[in-house]
Amino acid sequence: MSMRVGVLGIGKTPHKIQHEKSLKDLGVEAGRKAMADAGVDPSEIQMLYVGNVGSVGFNYENSTALMAAHHLGVVPAGAVRVEAACGTGAWALHLGCVAIASGLYDTVMVLGMEKMNDLATVEGTSIIAQAADSKEEYFSGLTFPSGTALTARKYMQAYGVSEEDLAHTSVKNHFYGARNPSAHLRFECTVEEVMNSPKVADPLKLYEVCPMTDAASALVLCREEILRAQPNRPQVYVTATSMASGTWYQASDTLDDAYNLFHRPATRAYEMAGVTAKDIDVAEIYNSFAIQEPLGIEGLGFAKMGQGWKGAKDGSTWLDGKIAVNPSGGLLCKGHPLGATGATQAVDIVEQLRGTAPEGMQRADAEIGISACRGGPGSVGAIHIYQRLEG
Amino acid sequence: MTVSAIEFTRLGAPKLHLFAMKCGKCKELSPWWERSHCYKCGHDTLTEFELAGKGEITNYTVVYYPPREFLGQEPYVVGHIRMDEGVTLPAPVMGVAPDAVEVGTRVAATLRRMKLGHEGDIYYSYKFVVDDDPAPKKTAPARRAAAKTPAAKTPAAKQPAARKPAAKKPAPRKPAARKK
Repeated sequence: MSMRVGVLGIGKTPHKIQHEKSLKDLGVEAGRKAMADAGVDPSEIQMLYVGNVGSVGFNYENSTALMAAHHLGVVPAGAVRVEAACGTGAWALHLGCVAIASGLYDTVMVLGMEKMNDLATVEGTSIIAQAADSKEEYFSGLTFPSGTALTARKYMQAYGVSEEDLAHTSVKNHFYGARNPSAHLRFECTVEEVMNSPKVADPLKLYEVCPMTDAASALVLCREEILRAQPNRPQVYVTATSMASGTWYQASDTLDDAYNLFHRPATRAYEMAGVTAKDIDVAEIYNSFAIQEPLGIEGLGFAKMGQGWKGAKDGSTWLDGKIAVNPSGGLLCKGHPLGATGATQAVDIVEQLRGTAPEGMQRADAEIGISACRGGPGSVGAIHIYQRLEG
Repeated sequence: MTVSAIEFTRLGAPKLHLFAMKCGKCKELSPWWERSHCYKCGHDTLTEFELAGKGEITNYTVVYYPPREFLGQEPYVVGHIRMDEGVTLPAPVMGVAPDAVEVGTRVAATLRRMKLGHEGDIYYSYKFVVDDDPAPKKTAPARRAAAKTPAAKTPAAKQPAARKPAAKKPAPRKPAARKK
């Protein structure tokens, strides 16, 4: 089936450590920005989907969707919290799209939010590790960085790729992260600096790992007719939403599984939107660890298996390349506020299609964008396609 | 020694003696935590299958930033251990320096303190140590060699008998694509 869900408004907070703000403050800030951008009153929001992963562990609070509904003033709209590991924000977006596409609602809000820096890194690492099987597989002392490091080594062994080859992905992301005013890490780096950065989980190094970040992002979605009736607004629509689950245990996870995590939902998404991988101008691909970007590039069909790392080296995934991958700096620079990430990717792509991305990050004449979010050891694949569709 | 009573009851047994789960249909071995169905063929009859406790490192990483429960152990090596019976288990590898660990190293299971629980309770589980007696009787390369040798030596008349080992156990693993 085809689908057109209007993106009426977007909003996001800066992505950084924000000790002065609570989780609630972040959610309210992003939600209000999105409503102001959409030109809607809180009373017009009919449903609120909140993506939030770890508030119980990070902030000692729960039922964060109800909290957000109250403070955003959208009561009595229904409000619910969604959780699917790092794919949480994308899942909230999926539910928002489904709600509109079903015809049940006219206007809904999708809000992703996470505040991770109330705790020290060691505590945060423990909480994040609960997104894998912490009672079984991760009982062995694995963490998300080390679990992904195993994937990286598998990739290097299978395709004969070196650590230097993979380092180019971080160089590209940091080039754009330095230009993104809302990114957590804003500095450029060289291959040598990536290689010399401290080891986090061999072969992953510090510049190949995202920071823990406090942030929120929100979108106001509406039925196509509502956005069409306001032709002076940017005509950006979500034209595909496609979700998949994947492997829960890393020990049995193969490179084929890693490929299929995006390949399967992306195939459906391309069909739904009526486009192909070649039509995509700009992509936001999940890369909490650098290795996930080449894996994502391959899964989305932009490169063959084992070739996804090359674009960062030869320029074809840079802003003016064949396809712009992560012109926001990706999670490596924006940080990875777990529940917000999927929503942030969506906001960044909508900015690209509106032509309002910050200077140095804007893909010229971007018309079709895609966001790909993953979660768990290899457990969530979430694809959304966005299009600028004038009159 | 204090342990969390709930978790000891629920998880203690599989960690104190090593076993895999064997599919009643396709005979595939899964890690001990697969209790509901075979991840390969989906069949739901799984039985415990005792492991001898020896294997080989097929993949590894070194953890420099551990979760709270492992604090103080860093840097530590966590590997994917392909057991001689064919199943892969993730586990820490002890007694090998972070810069000396290699794919292909033979290891043997041992019972060690694993981590501290949320209340400081001590958890024990299997870890691996480098195997001093690296005589892999059942690894895939050895099987391949055993299968080839008799076939090459055996005269034509004895071929049926010679074919047996080769047909019986084809090496189940893909050739390991090792770096260098």
